[in-house]
Amino acid sequence: MITWLEGAAFILALAAPFFLLLGLFPSYLRALTRLGRVAEDAHKSPPTKVPMPAGPLLFAGLVVGEFAVALGFRTLVPVAVAAGAGVAFAIGLVDDLYVLGGKTKPLLLLLAGLAFVSMAVLQPTLYRADIYFPILGDTAPHFIIYTILAVAAFPVVANAFNMMDAFNGEISWFTLLTSLALLAGVTLRALFQSGFSVSRVASTLPLVGVAGAFLAYNRFPSKAFDGDSGSLMFGAAFAGLAVTGGVEIAAIIAIVPAILNSFYTLSSVRGFVERRKMASRPTYIGEDGLLHASVEKDAPNTLVRLVLLTSSMTELELVASIVALTAVACVFSVATSVLTWVF
Amino acid sequence: MKLFPLLMIEFVAFLLIILETYVFFTLVVPLGPIPHTLTDYTTLALLKMFLILVLGALWFIVLDGLTRLYVRSRVRSAPRPSS
Repeated sequence: MITWLEGAAFILALAAPFFLLLGLFPSYLRALTRLGRVAEDAHKSPPTKVPMPAGPLLFAGLVVGEFAVALGFRTLVPVAVAAGAGVAFAIGLVDDLYVLGGKTKPLLLLLAGLAFVSMAVLQPTLYRADIYFPILGDTAPHFIIYTILAVAAFPVVANAFNMMDAFNGEISWFTLLTSLALLAGVTLRALFQSGFSVSRVASTLPLVGVAGAFLAYNRFPSKAFDGDSGSLMFGAAFAGLAVTGGVEIAAIIAIVPAILNSFYTLSSVRGFVERRKMASRPTYIGEDGLLHASVEKDAPNTLVRLVLLTSSMTELELVASIVALTAVACVFSVATSVLTWVF
Repeated sequence: MKLFPLLMIEFVAFLLIILETYVFFTLVVPLGPIPHTLTDYTTLALLKMFLILVLGALWFIVLDGLTRLYVRSRVRSAPRPSS
């Protein structure tokens, strides 16, 4: 049974970030426009100007939600998630303002992982050093190896999210769907494993709330871009929640489209290259106003290019296709969670 | 169903994650007798690390192969830009 305070924290964890962001977005976007903080929406013809970065407001929403959980459940789990996300947010904000190199960003993002795992000093139960697999059960705990992998997960996942942030609504849909799959996994674990704290379920709710509210402003045609401060923060929060929730395998499967996207890009451009410095573009806008896949031999194989190779599309159709791929991955993720915790 | 080939690649990625973790925990982890000397321990640890790398490489090779096959078949039939 949960207390009334924990129940209130559950509701606030989802509702506070969601309604706070919906309420604050209009004035925040007006302020960004007044300050000249706008980015060109390159996939519109003619290009339009969109306020950016929304990352600071998104991070504020996440902190409010996690703070409610920390107070209600008296746990440091949400603080650790917010700490990791906060470092990634700060790195992203620097990148939004000054543009960091293709190799500098992943290296700096290790700091987000270190900030997260260092909280284990204050709360030793922050994460368990064993991994649960579908049907097979759990491994023996290996604290050092698990901690190293947890730190390494932050740059990998944050960059994977960052690379899914190219079109109107892509990152907000992706974060919302994957965080819902994560929530399903952690909820199943809480329901079927005795002794697993429901505070870890509550900790995943702020990410769902933030992504849901952001979708209202980021969907096609976008009224706000999150910037790297938003996308890296989303990725780091997701990584932290997967580790504290102990649903690593289901989390990996939910973000398979982003992993494939990063893997395709890295293998085709042979290394870490800042997207603004790629020699050849993966896509282009044709005279018909549609997005086309580049047929150049050295064009990077991004997920977007692979989708556009099926046929030329409008931006809205393209994002719908990526959302469909993400939704299927999330179904696989939930199936993995069911196989892990129910059977 | 234009996205079917990409959904299949995604499904293969999902299956490989599940199958490879199964292979990892049923074959790689319990591999060999319990080591009694440092040499045995090191050899076994290196062998297990090699097998983990093989599993990782297999994931990349299979998915890279499928993707290249998909891209090649699509690029061949794609219209060239007029400019």
